[in-house]
Amino acid sequence: MRRRELFRMGGLAALGAAAAACGGGAGPTPAGAAELQFMYWGSTFERKAVAKMLQAFEKQKPGVRVEALFTPDEYDVKLNALVAGNRTPDVGYVPMAMSFRLAEQGKLVNLHPYIKKYPQLGGYLPDAYLWYGPDKLHGVATANESMLLWYSRAAVTEAGIAPPPADAASAWTWDQLVQNAFKLTVDQSGKHPDEAGFDPKQVRQFGVSCSFTYPAAWYGFLRGNGGDFADEAGTKCLLDSPESIEVFQNLQDLVYKHRVAPGPGQLAATGDEVPGTSILLKTKRVAMVVDGHWSLLDMNESKVDFGIGVLPKYDQPYTTTQVAGASSVFATTKHVEEAVELFAFHIDPRYVDLYAQGLWMPQERKYYEDQAAVDSWTKNAGHPPEFRTAVVDYTRDHGVPAFGNRVKNMTAIASDVLTPALQEIESGKRSAAEVLKEVTPKITEMLQGWHHAQEV
Amino acid sequence: MTAVAAPEKPRTGRVAPTAGLRRPRRFGKALLYLALVAGAVPTLLPFVWLVRSALMQDAQMFTAPPEWIPAPFQWSNFTEALTAQPFWLYFVNTVVIAVISVLGTVLTCSIAAFSFSRLRWRGRNVVFAVLLSGVMLPYAVTLIPTFAMWQQLGALDSIIPLTVPSWFAGAGGGVFNVFLLRQFFLTIPFELDEAAYIDGASPWRVFWTVVMPLSRPAIVVVTIFTFIGTWNDFLGPLLYLTDEDKYTLSLGLASFQSVFITQWGYLMAASAAVIAPIIALFFFLQRYFIEGITLTGIKN
Amino acid sequence: MPALSGQRRMERRWGLLMAVPAILGFVIFTAGPMVASALFSLTDWQIGGTPSYVGFDNYTALVDDELFWKSLSATTYYTLGAVPLALIVAFAVAMLLNQRVRGLSIWRTIFYLPTLVPAIANVVLWIWIFNPDFGLLNSLLRQGGLPTAQWIYDEATAIPSLIIMSTWGFGNTMVIFLAGLQGVPRHLYEAVSIDGGGPWRRFWHVTLPMMTPTIFYNLVVGVVGTFQVFNQAYVMTEGGPNQSTLFYVYYLFRKAFHESEMGYASALAWVLFMVIMVVTFLMFRNARRWVYYEMAGAR
Repeated sequence: MRRRELFRMGGLAALGAAAAACGGGAGPTPAGAAELQFMYWGSTFERKAVAKMLQAFEKQKPGVRVEALFTPDEYDVKLNALVAGNRTPDVGYVPMAMSFRLAEQGKLVNLHPYIKKYPQLGGYLPDAYLWYGPDKLHGVATANESMLLWYSRAAVTEAGIAPPPADAASAWTWDQLVQNAFKLTVDQSGKHPDEAGFDPKQVRQFGVSCSFTYPAAWYGFLRGNGGDFADEAGTKCLLDSPESIEVFQNLQDLVYKHRVAPGPGQLAATGDEVPGTSILLKTKRVAMVVDGHWSLLDMNESKVDFGIGVLPKYDQPYTTTQVAGASSVFATTKHVEEAVELFAFHIDPRYVDLYAQGLWMPQERKYYEDQAAVDSWTKNAGHPPEFRTAVVDYTRDHGVPAFGNRVKNMTAIASDVLTPALQEIESGKRSAAEVLKEVTPKITEMLQGWHHAQEV
Repeated sequence: MTAVAAPEKPRTGRVAPTAGLRRPRRFGKALLYLALVAGAVPTLLPFVWLVRSALMQDAQMFTAPPEWIPAPFQWSNFTEALTAQPFWLYFVNTVVIAVISVLGTVLTCSIAAFSFSRLRWRGRNVVFAVLLSGVMLPYAVTLIPTFAMWQQLGALDSIIPLTVPSWFAGAGGGVFNVFLLRQFFLTIPFELDEAAYIDGASPWRVFWTVVMPLSRPAIVVVTIFTFIGTWNDFLGPLLYLTDEDKYTLSLGLASFQSVFITQWGYLMAASAAVIAPIIALFFFLQRYFIEGITLTGIKN
Repeated sequence: MPALSGQRRMERRWGLLMAVPAILGFVIFTAGPMVASALFSLTDWQIGGTPSYVGFDNYTALVDDELFWKSLSATTYYTLGAVPLALIVAFAVAMLLNQRVRGLSIWRTIFYLPTLVPAIANVVLWIWIFNPDFGLLNSLLRQGGLPTAQWIYDEATAIPSLIIMSTWGFGNTMVIFLAGLQGVPRHLYEAVSIDGGGPWRRFWHVTLPMMTPTIFYNLVVGVVGTFQVFNQAYVMTEGGPNQSTLFYVYYLFRKAFHESEMGYASALAWVLFMVIMVVTFLMFRNARRWVYYEMAGAR
């Protein structure tokens, strides 16, 4: 086909200048350095940390040079163009859903055979691995992340309540959450929602906020209540189960019945990013926010007086983990060994500042188990004392991996069906049961199973 | 020069009285200023919002209800935002791309528009319609083939994909400029051309000495639009540039805002700094919107 | 047909010559990718995969795609609201800024400013304006004793809200009108004045007819551009709530780059192309009735 020809020619042009390989890949490396390209997104913090990491890598591997391909936004667009043009980088971040597709298309290196040679690759948390088939490993989630209950210490002190517990064993029940949220919700005249004369249109400080449309925010609740997004085969959606309906009705009740949580738009926030959890807590617009561990960097940057608690529990105190994009090695690389080494290097807490800064949590198991290893990234001014129990232990022992990364066809399901349904629940116009019963068969129709998972 | 000299606006210090437009009376004048002020309040709002945000700490930016006076004035937003990245380099890169694009667009688009408006040739309107159809297909589906094309031409990681199309009548979105200039050229009296042709002028000469001088306002519009469009273009530089030393201002701005962290103060300060040059550009160029450039004396 | 006169021959030769850069630009930079996307639309190409020919399957699939219809109607609704509103506001402001007033440069710059403010700053501002509790709009309505609204947070009001917001971007249209106003021949104003006509007559009988080519341009460009509206849905509403602001190109973009379904996305694109094409064709045909050009040669 013409198009393929065109792309082949494109590929040749890419190789042309370097005159590097003649097809087989066994060709001699050109005189001088092996050139690798590392593609990533992120903030200016990430940009600095990655530059430093790459420098350390080059220092450790003389003869290897790494070019950073910083892509601040529209990552999908650029990566799709590079894939179409067969010009992918050697190592890089990949949006999660896209990573499975690229792996199936043979665009990513199967890392499984390299585990023997690089034992470090075998030591990650089981949920970190991304499999596109039996013994077919196309990468790991770039960093571990889990959902936590962030709170403003000042707001909690003013309300005279005990702060949200910092260990899973003493997690609040949902009712306790609601009771405490009552005390933390205050309107302009100082009244609480359970008092007469409370004005829900003039709320100065909301007790709690939890996203409806961001699945990681509620998936821990769902699993903790004995529900799930889909059945074991991954072909039947379970969102209309009583357990699931209870979870979503509770979320809706926070806004419309208990009036302790903001409704759509009330935070001056669309999506989840404007203006961000740290600002909400700092300005005390909200006293407690369900958000990911990554907020820690932002909290410290904005000098928020915050604390971290575990999420309220249903039957089990679960939290959603592995909420991140993927990292992979691309099949276009001409230096697979070096690329695999860079892959392991770029998520190694010894070389990347982002762990100590609070943006990332490690994927290597030892950083949750071995005391010295735990201390290496958490014993610093950026990590509060409760971090050990509220985050490290909580994530390790009570984490359930986000289903968004595990369910096939999730991008289409989320944007075409699930998100609109969640927005409807959020709008409060219909009950959770009504909406979920209507949408569940539609999701079932689109389900194509879970992605493969196995032991290393 | 040819017989038909380009008409000039009066260069005397005194403003020529606008014939026909009677001086508005005092009451009318007051009404006029009232309308201007009433309109300026909402139109200034986004800009004032940007500037006050640029001078605030992140937390103050989002208080509810909003505050308007920064306390304290966070001037460091500007210094830190502009030193966090090599903005001076990005500025130079962006200016280079913008200037090349503006020159190419203005020149080639006006030549094309002259052909489509003031020269008669068979198939003209069909060709014009085909050109115009190029802007009716969403870019999302032509982006990858376009990228593949530049790749095949070996032009990736250079400013070629960002500048060369503008020298072909601003291929793609630039067709709007051809259309715009065509519409303006069509309002210039054709007697001017005819007089020039009788004097033996070539179409090029008519274009250059009759039509172009009379079309200054339209050319200014094309200049402004092209400059701003290139200045703010994000997707083009993102796709075609890989070397960070070639990055443009819009790419620099975007890195203050990411999925997990947005440095609001820096983002707003850098945004304000980045648009300052285009505000200045508009301020200086808009004075070419002066009535009376079109010569009317020919009919007298 | 009589032999071409020397003049006509010269015009033809020069006409083609001067159109060459534009034609070349189209052939080199635009036509290829357009043809490629037309071909994609006949395949099941997923970026990175191997395409296979599926005939018109993508197009027939559109008919059953609920979101295709939803996005088409949302976009049409938005276009019908945003384009006329922008034209009227921009024209009025251009008239205002064409008067002799002190500090004209400053006034003009002020009115153009909203166009220059970066999207992200604008979005943050409008999120506040639309905030149901303490936002600007609801505060004003409350003070006036009027009922408040949920603005972009309600399915019914989301698109009208975005239309209001879009009106702030009138600057470019206004600038084109402003440039157009410079070309209105003064002697025509004089003629009306001599006949004793006032400002209203001058506007109705001179300004408006002489501005029709510019109005026509802004109408066409407005419609072509607005049918491809994308940004507000992308950065502000993400198509919500409940798909109410699922603009066509945003939906297409999601298919193309989030799901990499380039075959389907291309079919979506070509259907929109046809829609815009037909609408534009009708506008051009209709233009003969109301657009005034200097000479028959224009048509």
